[in-house]
Amino acid sequence: MSMRSQVYEWSNLAASGQTSSLRRTVDAVPVVIPTNREYDIFIGGIGNNITKPAETTATQFIVIEDIACSAYLGGALQVRINTTDYFQNPDVTDQAGVPGLASPYPRGSSDSAVTDSITDYVQLLKSFDLYPDVYVLPGQVFQILYSLQSTNGAAAVTTVVAAFVKYTLYDGPDALIANKLLELGVTINPNNVDWYKRTLIEQQQRSRVAAVATNGGSA
Amino acid sequence: MSMRSQVYEWTSQATASPWTNTNTGNSVSIFIGGVGNNITKPAETTATQFVVIEDVAVSPTAFMPSSTITPGGFYRGLIQGGLGDAGCNGVIGNRAYIQVRINTTDYFLDPDNVGNDGIPGSASPYPRSTNFQPAFNLYPDVYVLPGQVFDALVTCYQNSAFGSSVATNALSAFMKYTLYDGPDALIANKLLEMGISINPGNVDWYKRTLIQSQSAAPAMA
Repeated sequence: MSMRSQVYEWSNLAASGQTSSLRRTVDAVPVVIPTNREYDIFIGGIGNNITKPAETTATQFIVIEDIACSAYLGGALQVRINTTDYFQNPDVTDQAGVPGLASPYPRGSSDSAVTDSITDYVQLLKSFDLYPDVYVLPGQVFQILYSLQSTNGAAAVTTVVAAFVKYTLYDGPDALIANKLLELGVTINPNNVDWYKRTLIEQQQRSRVAAVATNGGSA
Repeated sequence: MSMRSQVYEWTSQATASPWTNTNTGNSVSIFIGGVGNNITKPAETTATQFVVIEDVAVSPTAFMPSSTITPGGFYRGLIQGGLGDAGCNGVIGNRAYIQVRINTTDYFLDPDNVGNDGIPGSASPYPRSTNFQPAFNLYPDVYVLPGQVFDALVTCYQNSAFGSSVATNALSAFMKYTLYDGPDALIANKLLEMGISINPGNVDWYKRTLIQSQSAAPAMA
């Protein structure tokens, strides 16, 4: 249980009369999101939130493998590690991040929520693959920031938008191995963590055999 | 027959005890939750079994502008539910999630290390279609060691979004796992100790190395 595949889904849904809630609520209604502002999907005060900023402890290592969001209204997702934005323009200026059109959530959804139900049957596929993955080292804070270019409506008709993050959480000894792989310049994924464990075991076995040989056959 | 690919499908409206609005917002076991089709006892492994859960999925959800679909209306095969203010809230489908629990530990956590509802149906839909495609792949797999109890818990947040029958889009869930039994369960445990992923290919590889080492021993004698 020390390497675990994890997901976090956010949407702008909250109980009627509220803008956010810890965890999810039954029959929640969509909340209007101001345009061209970045909202942390974990603690941004809109939709379902968690209790504290997302961060890794000293014994955790996180590898973010995929991010996706609603494809319409110019939605985009940015990853921020501590205070540094991951996606930037070629001139090293800020940008909104990965557009929902490039990494849609849900996969197969339409590029236009309004027309889809009547005339448009677009089923979007992803154009973007988060590779190489994004590493969150022990003790770092990370944010996933969602922003809209177009308004998602007024109180009467408000569009539901959502975002999705897939990551792998390495905990305890596996987080130490992940740090070691990082030092070695090896990609951190479950296969390589397992590979490193195997090499450790093989080394131990070899040294045990060598010790026996040195002692003239007695352990 | 000692490595077997297994599936379990759960449908909320399949029996005389279907999902009702009182269940909405609560997590319900797909094995023994008392709703839909169930089994006779909690899912568990014996001392000679090893289970590797490879995929879980649940009914998908679509997101739309509110008031686009009126209650009872359909969009891409999903029904608009919700009560009161949420009667046309733009959430089409069950807004369902599925969590895996081993003994008493939830597998999926939020980044604040609190157990969450699990994988959303929008990320791992069942059934899959061109309209609803997976964004999530359960990798690394979930291991259920000998003697452990495992469960899959479905939670949904949209009232009245479950069809009245399988034909009308009931809330459904799906689990794919591989059951290793007898000697293959022992090999699975050995692979786990060695830090090797447990899958049928690696179990076969371990068997081959055992056979090769056995056949090499008489030749050396």
